[in-house]
Amino acid sequence: MNNSQVPVARKQGLVVQEMPEEVLIYDLDTNKAHCLNKTAAFVWKSCDGKNSVADITKSFENGFGSPVEEDFVWLAIEQLNDKNLLNESLTTNLKGQTRREVIKKIGFASIIALPIVASIAAPTSALATASCACVTPGDCPAQTGCPSTVNCNGSGVCAP
Amino acid sequence: MENNEVSDCLKNRHYFRFESYGVKIGVESNSERFLKRLEDHLPNVIPNAFFTNNNLETEHVFSINVSENGLFELYKDDEKITAGDSEENFFNFSCSKLRLTVAEFAKAKVFLHAGVIAWNGKAIIFPAQSFHGKSTLVAKFVQRGALYYSDEYAVLDEKGFVYPFPKTLSLRGKGDKYKQTEYTAESFGGTIGTEPLEVGMIMLTEYEPGAEWKPEVLSAGKAILEIVPHTIPIRNKPKFTLQVLNKIVNRAIIAKSKRGEAEKFIDLLLEFYKTKVI
Repeated sequence: MNNSQVPVARKQGLVVQEMPEEVLIYDLDTNKAHCLNKTAAFVWKSCDGKNSVADITKSFENGFGSPVEEDFVWLAIEQLNDKNLLNESLTTNLKGQTRREVIKKIGFASIIALPIVASIAAPTSALATASCACVTPGDCPAQTGCPSTVNCNGSGVCAP
Repeated sequence: MENNEVSDCLKNRHYFRFESYGVKIGVESNSERFLKRLEDHLPNVIPNAFFTNNNLETEHVFSINVSENGLFELYKDDEKITAGDSEENFFNFSCSKLRLTVAEFAKAKVFLHAGVIAWNGKAIIFPAQSFHGKSTLVAKFVQRGALYYSDEYAVLDEKGFVYPFPKTLSLRGKGDKYKQTEYTAESFGGTIGTEPLEVGMIMLTEYEPGAEWKPEVLSAGKAILEIVPHTIPIRNKPKFTLQVLNKIVNRAIIAKSKRGEAEKFIDLLLEFYKTKVI
């Protein structure tokens, strides 16, 4: 039975690409790509609906051969939460500390890399290859990488 | 479209059909002159396009209307894309849309918006947005003796090999800093590559005056995140795209650095490439 302390990794609507040290996840709902580093990936994969955060912490210590506090795992959980990579949103338990305070505390004490989930939005094809060619100014707003998104100049370029 | 639908639709209109990387595209217009111009220019726009029997089915249809008062309208699959009265601008825009359609829907290939050259038997890929100097960089490499693969697209297959897409090089700044002028690789004394190649390096870089060369080698995961913004079919076929990118980033060196002037950058990059790849 799931409760707010037993995280479950989301699987639906995700494309998962395993890598030697990281996990790449593409969210089909939001068209965002997320890169989980080794420690974040370990936590995400441990979120099987059976392991509590305490269980994951213990498992982490065994797997990485180094003691960590629960805050370390909560840091990962919070990021996974924010990126919608868990089935249900959890109330994170950083004991009144801000994320920055936790990172500062853990960072000095830990020899293991902090869990990091980096993300980027996947572009539409038009954005990925904005050629900056235009016929009218209306062709330019979608081409956000061009010198202008409002003007189509006399040479047919989205530019001043 | 069925064959009889095509026939009805094409009364008083002119038509050609082509295929490229498995994408089947029909182009039709009421202006035979304009359509002929597009047809003649197509090999420069989409290098491996080949013309086929007009009666075959298509996946995408571009329609071009040219009115008597000089208005040009472009439709793609019945959706209006743009309209304007400058034939030159309309022509260039239409070419870029044709090319983008091939890039987006190519079968069993992943297109990156990137420049590509070959050096010592492996490909170096420069993903970048427009106006970030990739065509200039590619042209400089070609002048140095690199094989020219593309200044627009890296075409990747499921094994992680890159194919040539040697459209004419589009360089800006000769007079009008925004306007593009087309050049062949041969005009730079260069040679076009013909074979699929293993990727030796992906270099993420953009020009910044006075920038210092400080290459950072990226992990596989971070590399993919950096490449995603330049990956055209990522939303269409994310699973296949990620598989292809994963194959490449686990074999090639992926590095990131700003760059200053192209000549100095090329020296530094090739030195770096020698130590990391060859």
